[in-house]
Amino acid sequence: MLGRLAHGELAITGRRRERLLFLMDNGIYVVTVLLFIVFVFLAPYFFTPRNLVNILISASLAGIVTAGYTVAILAGQIDTSTQGVLAVATVTTALLFEELGFSLPMTVLFALLAGIAAGLFNGLIVVNGKIVAFVATLATQGVMLAIALFLSGGQTITIAREGLQEAVFIRVFGIPSSVWIMFFCYIVGYVLLTQTKLGAHIYATGADYRASLLSGVPVDRVIRIALVISALTAALTAVLVTARAKQSAMFGLAIAGSVDFVTALTAVLLGGFSLFGGVGRIERNLVAVMFLTILGNGLQLMNVPTGIILIVRGFALVLAVILSVLRARMT
Amino acid sequence: MASDEVILETIDLDKSFGAVHAVRTVSWKVYAGRVNALVGDNGAGKSTLIKLISGALQPNGGGFRVRGQETRIGGPAGAFGLGIAAVYQDLALVENRDVVMNMFLGSELTRGPGQIFLDHKGMLRQAHQVLDDIHARIPNVREMVRNLSGGQRQAVAVGRALIRGGEIIIMDEPTAALGVEQTQEVLQLIDTLRAQGKTIILISHNIQQVFEIADFISVMFHGELLGTRSRDEATEAEVVAMIMGKRSP
Repeated sequence: MLGRLAHGELAITGRRRERLLFLMDNGIYVVTVLLFIVFVFLAPYFFTPRNLVNILISASLAGIVTAGYTVAILAGQIDTSTQGVLAVATVTTALLFEELGFSLPMTVLFALLAGIAAGLFNGLIVVNGKIVAFVATLATQGVMLAIALFLSGGQTITIAREGLQEAVFIRVFGIPSSVWIMFFCYIVGYVLLTQTKLGAHIYATGADYRASLLSGVPVDRVIRIALVISALTAALTAVLVTARAKQSAMFGLAIAGSVDFVTALTAVLLGGFSLFGGVGRIERNLVAVMFLTILGNGLQLMNVPTGIILIVRGFALVLAVILSVLRARMT
Repeated sequence: MASDEVILETIDLDKSFGAVHAVRTVSWKVYAGRVNALVGDNGAGKSTLIKLISGALQPNGGGFRVRGQETRIGGPAGAFGLGIAAVYQDLALVENRDVVMNMFLGSELTRGPGQIFLDHKGMLRQAHQVLDDIHARIPNVREMVRNLSGGQRQAVAVGRALIRGGEIIIMDEPTAALGVEQTQEVLQLIDTLRAQGKTIILISHNIQQVFEIADFISVMFHGELLGTRSRDEATEAEVVAMIMGKRSP
């Protein structure tokens, strides 16, 4: 019985509840495979080596930022500053490489340092200011976007110098390095979350801040680290986006491409994570990112108008939020 | 009573919150390997006294003697170091984590370079051992805590205290939210701990239960310790009268 109790909890208990949770958690695997099969038949050129590599490249950009985002969500921190970090890091990358003539490794290093600085800033506001991450990072995002706008003078910086795109998209075994970087991020994320003490503390802090605090978990440090990881992956994504586009990926205050907070949020929720922290498995997010990428790619190949594709993606987020809230009520 | 060994002693312990004098120069003896019950009405100062002992609060005056040594209890970590572990009333368990991770939360076993990796096998083994020792009936230690009964949760929380080297275990109203059967489970758990030589500090509202399980009964009233009785020499009527503030002769 899906009877609803007065205070909004679902009256499902015991084994039945666990079975339903299992289904909600792992449904994403089945749905993704089904979607893939449908597009193989319906979307022209979908199942060609070239398009499959394209899907992987798109997925890699959204996937890397989602990996770090996942860590923040697990620690109970909804990090909405992703766009701001992307903006600062993409402008940093373009400025240093194109206009200041930095070497490639130094450019990447400084872009990542910019990400770490942004994460530390978020941590400062959230932990020291005792402000809920969702609100705090919304505010810091504004600051970061403004800094990026100031640094770039409001102009898109085009990269004419050779070497950035080539290096970042070198193919290893026929697959671009950004895809390998994504897999690397997920492997590191998986090991971090399941095999390390820090990972256990991230889960616990997100699931129950007070109980973790009373048990001697250094909750504030855990939150700071989670926010830095989230910002760091956003900065890494920014380097790749900039390299791919051969320009700073910031137009006015908007960020180019599908790499944004909403995509990351949709993927995280579709992957069975709780918005409230402490629940979820990072490998499912990789699949959820694939799902969203395949959905966009397939619809595009079927010549569905962009507006419709955006609406479909919007509904994916709505569905994801509903699933997440249902899940939270059941646990 | 004279033959019993005192493991922990508060000496003229004092604590105020602004104008509220919550604990008034309390000198209390806790006996080793016994169940030491602390009773009193709401606001009598039990919780404050317990928080002082578990390091969650710092006293304004007075001190402690643990195993004959005068000492400070600097914080929860300091209390753990002295073998004092509190099991909070809400147990401080994380619902969406399994039994093992809850038992080791904040004191995980680690291995590898820099001790950053979890020793899953070691924790699993030790969790089984500790739960077996206290005869806890938890079929699957990988079960999420949210699926456990009240009695099982209490066992997990006590297991955590034991893993941290708890010799003096403070239990705050452990049966307050439990049904009849689960209450019996927790009382058996307390009995088992005592049989293993652990010292228990038990806070309870339930006089009948206190008489069933405790060796010593101490009564607080308006921040003062009115007295301690051994269970065998006290009567329920006398203890109830003390809770209401009647000093016995």
